[in-house]
Amino acid sequence: MLKRNLYTWAGLGLLIAGSLVSLSAYFIFLLTWLTALGISMLILSVILLVLGRTIPKLSPEVSGLLLETGIDNIATIIEELGIRAKAIYLPSSLTSGRPRALIPLHSNPSSSLLTKALPQRLIVQYGASPDDIGLLVTTTGTTAIGMLESRPGSTPEELESSLTSLFTGMLGVADGAKVVYHENRIRVEIRNPRIENKATWSHQCLGGPLASMVASVAAEAWDRPVTIKQEEQHGGKCSIELEVLV
Amino acid sequence: MKIYNSYILIVAVLLLLTTVILVATGQNSLDIYYTAYVIEALIVTELYVYFNAKARRGLNLVSTILFGGFLVIVSLQVIKILA
Repeated sequence: MLKRNLYTWAGLGLLIAGSLVSLSAYFIFLLTWLTALGISMLILSVILLVLGRTIPKLSPEVSGLLLETGIDNIATIIEELGIRAKAIYLPSSLTSGRPRALIPLHSNPSSSLLTKALPQRLIVQYGASPDDIGLLVTTTGTTAIGMLESRPGSTPEELESSLTSLFTGMLGVADGAKVVYHENRIRVEIRNPRIENKATWSHQCLGGPLASMVASVAAEAWDRPVTIKQEEQHGGKCSIELEVLV
Repeated sequence: MKIYNSYILIVAVLLLLTTVILVATGQNSLDIYYTAYVIEALIVTELYVYFNAKARRGLNLVSTILFGGFLVIVSLQVIKILA
């Protein structure tokens, strides 16, 4: 079935126009160049119709609404608990399922404590001490990483490729990403981001949506816990610095 | 989707430019026009590596159909030469 969107309508228009132009040019006017122009219109129409089928049914406004609702709920919990510690993005091997973010209730734990997979619960104990309690939450990165076709590799080039594929090809939220890795620090530059970061408490804890996605993908790629050290957005560029916990 | 728009725009501009150039050089064979279109469409599609899986599957189908048309043209030419 055809989905009704701009691509489909443009494709149908070009299909009709291309058929009329090529057939009339070939059989009536006997003009090769006009027939060729009609064929090029037909090729373009098929491409438009195929791409029109891949456009999601949900509008960007509805998606934004759902994203904001989810973030607001997590923000409320974080603010009510007065958490100031930075979230630790864990790979799927440490969460017995999908990659998630651990928000320690007291202070940031050393990575040596995070050696075994945490249970799939909201409140988890990650260490032996009674204070080693945190919230294990699902972030935008958790869902976004499920969209990748394969697990990203642990080199900067592979991470860059995965992030560009995610941001540009699947989500359409940025024009590309550049990754630099140096001594357990990953610096990611995102070109022309189309999601704005809000200066809220939860953003300081979990990072913005883009940083959350970058951290989740990096944690999964390196198979190590990752934290967001810095996040800046200015002049059509978003710079994110991550630390891989070893 | 920004990537879709840029892909469509590039393909459209390339096809139009090819038509103009081939008309200017006095080409009168429909086979040459079609072959040039197919090659350009295939190259641009291959260069856009960051398409999502669904779009890639659909474009692969389009590429297969276009390549099928190209093979038909080549077969007809071979038959014409052998005959």
